[in-house]
Amino acid sequence: MINLARWKAILQKTCRDCATYTRRIIGIPDYDAYVAHLRERHPDRPIPNRAAFFAERQRARYSGGGGRCC
Amino acid sequence: MNSIVARLGWLLLAAFGAFCLGTLALHRGESVNAFWLVAATISFFFVAYRFYGRFIADNALRLDAARATPAVLRNDGLDYVPTDRRVVFGHHFAAIAGAGPLVGPVLAAQMGYLPGTLWILVGVIFAGAVQDFVILFLSVRRDGRSLGEMVRSEIGAGAGVIAMIGVLAIMFIILAVLALVVVKALAQSPWGTFTVAMTIPIALVMGIYLRFLRPGRVLEVSAIGLVLLLLSIWLGGKVAADPAWAPLFTHDGKTLAWMLIAYGFCASVMPVWLLLAPRDYLSTFLKIGTVVLLAIGIVFAMPELQMPALTRFVDGSGPVFAGSLFPFLFITIACGAVSGWHSLIASGTTPKLLANEKDARLVGYGAMLVEAFVAIMALIAACVLQPGVYFAMNAPAALIGTSVETAAQAISQWGFVITPEALAQTARDIGETTILSRAGGAPTLAVGMAQILHRLLAGDGMLAFWYHYAILFEALFILTTVDAGTRVGRFMIQELAGLAVPALGRTESWIANVIATALCVACWGWFLYQGVVDPLGGINTLWPLFGIANQMLAAIALTLASVCLVKMKREKYLWVVLAPAVWLVVCTLTAGWQKVFSNDVAISFMAHARKFSAALAQDQVLAPAKSFVEMQRIVRNDHVDAALAAFFMMLVVAMLVFGAKAALAARRSNTVTAREAPYVALAEAHP
Repeated sequence: MINLARWKAILQKTCRDCATYTRRIIGIPDYDAYVAHLRERHPDRPIPNRAAFFAERQRARYSGGGGRCC
Repeated sequence: MNSIVARLGWLLLAAFGAFCLGTLALHRGESVNAFWLVAATISFFFVAYRFYGRFIADNALRLDAARATPAVLRNDGLDYVPTDRRVVFGHHFAAIAGAGPLVGPVLAAQMGYLPGTLWILVGVIFAGAVQDFVILFLSVRRDGRSLGEMVRSEIGAGAGVIAMIGVLAIMFIILAVLALVVVKALAQSPWGTFTVAMTIPIALVMGIYLRFLRPGRVLEVSAIGLVLLLLSIWLGGKVAADPAWAPLFTHDGKTLAWMLIAYGFCASVMPVWLLLAPRDYLSTFLKIGTVVLLAIGIVFAMPELQMPALTRFVDGSGPVFAGSLFPFLFITIACGAVSGWHSLIASGTTPKLLANEKDARLVGYGAMLVEAFVAIMALIAACVLQPGVYFAMNAPAALIGTSVETAAQAISQWGFVITPEALAQTARDIGETTILSRAGGAPTLAVGMAQILHRLLAGDGMLAFWYHYAILFEALFILTTVDAGTRVGRFMIQELAGLAVPALGRTESWIANVIATALCVACWGWFLYQGVVDPLGGINTLWPLFGIANQMLAAIALTLASVCLVKMKREKYLWVVLAPAVWLVVCTLTAGWQKVFSNDVAISFMAHARKFSAALAQDQVLAPAKSFVEMQRIVRNDHVDAALAAFFMMLVVAMLVFGAKAALAARRSNTVTAREAPYVALAEAHP
């Protein structure tokens, strides 16, 4: 008997990991990890929603140094 | 027992690599299969990663798995995040991979496939990957500090200023030369111009979608953007074939240069979410996807290399770039073998993501090996072309004329037999009116890539589709470099100008922003425009300057690495970084010297200027100039280029003097003087 629920969970996790990986490549950190980090280390700080988090990270990536290669 | 088997396996792999390379080097027939090149590269890279990479990690740097990295110590979930090493690898590779490793090997193919191959293999294993790895390590040990900050703290304030000016100068040259590559690829090509122009409205739509419709859904919108891009390639073919629409997108180099300058200014002044960021996402995904696609294409198609192992142009008389194999091959292939620019990335965001010091080998050394593999693929794409087609595309009009008849005649006289019909047919196959004198690497690579990818997915008109796909792929990420680079250049100018006039340093001020951006655009735009009107094609002049500048930055980074090893009291392993540093200094200084002081008019800016000045004094107009004004402009440009080459040489020499002084002072000290962040054990970093 195939355990469908288990396979579904594995598939979902793989998709989620791939998406996180792909976002990371273009410089967008993992939102869930950031929320977990805030809850654990800074419970006093407000938790931004997904859109605000994305907008802040996008702006931060292109202000200041860094840059792209030739 | 297991270790003996493993060692035997590695030995066999090394022997296999050597056998493949031997086959390539000793082959003197009609053509040789690209398989040997791919196999040699992959085997050598695995052996180098396993043995030399590990040797550096364990002995020279002594990576400490128990030491906490900045990502762990300063974890803020945003900039400093301990990240899985495979993710950091992808992030780092996406940041270092650019147009450089695609263009340099294509230009270097004029000497045959062998010199370029050997330099990429040896250069990356002993210089390029070493530089990326060591700088990443140094930055990880210093809270993720940038190259400039590390030079300042380890060598001194004067050296820090030199590094900063060097970075700014190289930025202008990089932006100008890359923009020139795009201009050369799009000139008189309505299909290419339309597709590349369409990326702007597509990016705007993506930006608005991401901001207002579905905020943060970046993967969804990127997928939509990529589909729209492919549609625009198809539509471009219709536009180019339409007598009413085609003229709207048919422009000469000068017009395109002004468009690019205006674009660079607008894209870097506008809010990043609107244009710059969405284009960056598109270009990153297209870049990685195409590199993978090209690798699959080469493995499945296994094309034959038509270019000989060595051509007669190793003597320096080649039409693509002037100058003999040493030092100019090592300047022409910069990125791909060793790229100073990577030292900025390796001391940028990457060190703030490493979860463990031990990961630095995979990310620093490993990612650079993959970049070198991309360079090898570009070399293969250039060498699968018929040599006659290759030279027709890359030699300037001053040498081959402007018709297929004159080009075929001139190139056949060089020993690469080609018929006018073959040249005209190649242009028709890829959906263009001409392939002559499209220097700059991108079109050559695109034709080569199209021929390789065409074997994956063939069909009526597919060659033209693949050609314009390849052009779009290169133009898209070059333009992303141009707008992101203009923005970074603007911040650097504001930082420098802020020292003199504090009001100019305020990055949130709109007026200061516009002034600094205009200044930045003017600096690279000037070189771009001169390159476009240069009768010798521009790439001829600008690419060596770019190569010298990039290798100069690598020499600065490796000098820093050498000083740091002495300060860490690891002199025993100093050769690991000092040997490539010395090699790069020798190459840049020799090339710079010849560019300024040689008597050869084809190589030296000053000799060229003298020739034209002498003619001016006698009221003569020398071809390709058509008037006295053009003559004067040629002389003035030569003087600027020569001054720039001399300036780069002075930067290298000054850096060497500062570095040697710092190293000698460190030797006299009995203790370790490297200024690393204090040691914190990984076990104690997690409360």
